[in-house]
Amino acid sequence: MNPKPSAPFIAIMITACLVAAAASSCASGPKTTPSATTSTAGEVVPLVGSAKVHRYTYPNGLKLLVVEDHSSPTFAYQTWFRIGSRDEIPGKTGLAHLFEHMMFKETKNHKEGEFDRILEAVGVEGENAFTNRDYTAYIQELPKNQLDLIASLESDRMVNLLVNEQSFRTELEVVQNERRFRTENNPDGTMYQDLFGLAFEKHPYHWPVIGYQADLDKMSAQNAMDFYKTYYSPNHATIVVVGDVDAGHVHDVIQKYYGGLLASSAPSHDIPVEPTQDAPRRESLKLNIQVEKIVLAYHIPGIADADMPAIDVLQAVLSGGKSSRLYRALVDTGIASSVDSEDIDDKDPTLFIIGVNLQKGRHATQAESVVLREIARLTSELVGDKELERARNKIDFGFYEGLGSAYLKAQFLGKYEALTKNFELGLLEQQRIQSVTPEQIMEVAKKYFMPSNRSVVSAFPKGGKQK
Amino acid sequence: MKRNFIAFSILFAALALPAAMPAHAFEMAFEEDSSLPIVYVNLAIKAGAVTDPAGQSGITNFMGEMLLRGTRSKTKEQIDLALDQMGARLEVETRAEALIVRGAVLSSQLEPFLALMREIASEPSFPEAEIRKLKAEIVSGILEELGNDSSLEGRRFSRFLFEGHPYGKPVLGTVKDVTKLTRTKIAAQYERLIHDLNFVVVGEGDAHEGTMHAWSTDLARLRPTGSQAVIAQVSTPVNAPIRRLQIVDKPERTQTQMDVGQIGVRMTDRDYFPLYLGNYAFGGGSFSARLMSEIRVKRGWSYGAYSSFRQGLKPRSWQAHLFPAAKDAPAALAETVKLIEELHAKGITHDEFDFAQRSLVNSSGFMYNTPKKRVENTVLERTLDLPQGFMQGYAKELSLVTLEQVNGAMKNFLQPDRLAISVLGTAADLKDALTKAAGVQTKDVLVVPYTEE
Repeated sequence: MNPKPSAPFIAIMITACLVAAAASSCASGPKTTPSATTSTAGEVVPLVGSAKVHRYTYPNGLKLLVVEDHSSPTFAYQTWFRIGSRDEIPGKTGLAHLFEHMMFKETKNHKEGEFDRILEAVGVEGENAFTNRDYTAYIQELPKNQLDLIASLESDRMVNLLVNEQSFRTELEVVQNERRFRTENNPDGTMYQDLFGLAFEKHPYHWPVIGYQADLDKMSAQNAMDFYKTYYSPNHATIVVVGDVDAGHVHDVIQKYYGGLLASSAPSHDIPVEPTQDAPRRESLKLNIQVEKIVLAYHIPGIADADMPAIDVLQAVLSGGKSSRLYRALVDTGIASSVDSEDIDDKDPTLFIIGVNLQKGRHATQAESVVLREIARLTSELVGDKELERARNKIDFGFYEGLGSAYLKAQFLGKYEALTKNFELGLLEQQRIQSVTPEQIMEVAKKYFMPSNRSVVSAFPKGGKQK
Repeated sequence: MKRNFIAFSILFAALALPAAMPAHAFEMAFEEDSSLPIVYVNLAIKAGAVTDPAGQSGITNFMGEMLLRGTRSKTKEQIDLALDQMGARLEVETRAEALIVRGAVLSSQLEPFLALMREIASEPSFPEAEIRKLKAEIVSGILEELGNDSSLEGRRFSRFLFEGHPYGKPVLGTVKDVTKLTRTKIAAQYERLIHDLNFVVVGEGDAHEGTMHAWSTDLARLRPTGSQAVIAQVSTPVNAPIRRLQIVDKPERTQTQMDVGQIGVRMTDRDYFPLYLGNYAFGGGSFSARLMSEIRVKRGWSYGAYSSFRQGLKPRSWQAHLFPAAKDAPAALAETVKLIEELHAKGITHDEFDFAQRSLVNSSGFMYNTPKKRVENTVLERTLDLPQGFMQGYAKELSLVTLEQVNGAMKNFLQPDRLAISVLGTAADLKDALTKAAGVQTKDVLVVPYTEE
């Protein structure tokens, strides 16, 4: 990850920390030689407004999505690998993210530092990368005449990376500092790490994307190289290009630089299925904070599940805006200074999280009671029509705002491709949200928001009395 | 290559926001963009937290938040319901020299949204019950912020650098001051700041410029400048006469948050562009920059290490920021101070200059390549009294800068013997080593508990 102090960076990193995602990365099968020199014909799918997505698939398994947007002489170029911390094994946690850092190092064709330097010289914007539970993405924006350059550099590091021990040791230290920043010295980071650890016992979502300190301490350059050889290949990736480009030309450029790369046969490994949680779980922390905090989580299905549109609407009813139920019940009443909830987008069954920051002198137990009361209401009373309309409007607004630039369009497409191998699902989900009924909301509330499915982490000021 | 990108920048210049000056004394600019069914409307007030009177820190922010909590005809609850019904967002952002009411709405709901926004800006009621509730929320928000190492260090560094100057005051205020605010004082701050002379309306999206013009004119008529006192500009801040170290003492830190800096420069100062270029070479975000290279790339001491300017009507700050592990903090601080001293003494090299100039000129188009960025640029230009189009002039200005200008400007600007150094960490473990690394006398070290505001 690149710590440039830009607003997009901050947004991306927060997303990477708190949100999940997914993708089945483990395509299996024999090594593929690119015998054919051309990809499947481009397919065109409407996105939003006049924007259209051109989709290509290459013989080596690489996928390409292109959206032409000529409003500025620039383009976003993003490479999404369907690889994340979900693909790690116990004892090697944090490897996917650590490896992401190594991708900015040396290749057979470029010395360490050249990748950044070449791109910076031509005026790259927002060069960065992020790792999540189910995917790893490498992102840039460039002036329109730099398509060949970025395709050349990205295809080179997809297969030609070198990992030397000294460089690995230095970057490992950087990652350990990132961990100190995001988790050890960050109350919210500590709470989220513990929440996932509490809610998941078997599934890899149990461990943090950044990994455990003890595992990072034991990591070697060889581990990184093994990870690279296993997972970094065209058949695990989707390239997304949005901006002042011609789709056919992009297709030709991608063919030129990636067409000769070989697919890999990543060993398929069984991702453990998380057993059904059968009793509430709870943890309390004493931290150097001045007001209490609480996070509650319920298991919910993965992003492609048919229940997700109703859960999306339920989320907006609970905390979408200042007229939402939890804001009214917690902030307007003087119990909390802020409340938020999130139904995480992950490939596998994941969590619905509610986070509350208490007001001075108020207690996490009070907030928890209110949250549980509001959830109980959802299981016993139908959401009214006006409230449903408000929730839908909030979601609509967020959907359109989330497509508000070349970068954001590319991110939307890349994320859904990484999680579901089908970006249309993101559009379909938006349509389905429009037809969610009050009965469906009650149904998912009853199905997922029961006490036995709940995990709670509370944080109290050190030296204070816990109530 | 440079020629290509100057052309690239000129292309963007053609997309500059049209600016209109209606009869009433306010400024308005709107860029039509129908690619998505969303409209963004910003009402910026050209006065911010530096206008907070003594003992009333946080009042501008508080007043801004209170705009959303009741009008003559609507309660907070009704406002919240109306906004959510429209699928809209309305928030207040307070800066040192601006208060910005930021609105965004589905274009199908623009008409009722503008009506509500006008009412909020022109007819606030400041209900006592909401004042009590907001006080409790903001006080808790401040305490929550103090629990976050990064934001706590930022807050403490500003106060340490600027000492008693208004730029050092926290925008949210202090718990002590916010607790004492009254309805009378809040209403007085509203009368003082919210009038047409201070209005800047900037927006973009799926709406007609004429609609926004009419709305702005109407709003200005409702808040004409009357007998309001002219708001005095703040004085120019100065560096303390010595190098100083502050340790924000927090127990059990495995990592520190570190700022090393001094008073900055105005964007309209003659040396701004040479300094901007020199800063980029030193720590302006590039992985090739000196600070990043020495601290992160070569030694792995910190996840991030960069330097930047903060801008204001008066010179604000220039600071390097890093967050090394506690075990590496003294060495990282010593290295950072050494790099600043070298930058002052020797400047940057020819290679560093060439690379920085090329990178900055080539990437300058990204400063205004989307409607949203152009809106933000206009807000910045209008609230900081910059010439119109200033933000689109970076490529041209930077392409004219010479190495000699950069190094001459750095020599004049940097004051290594007057640096303000602030480190959040565990004092018992680090105080002696940090004192030595900072090159300061023990008497010039201030240790403050993290729980203290």
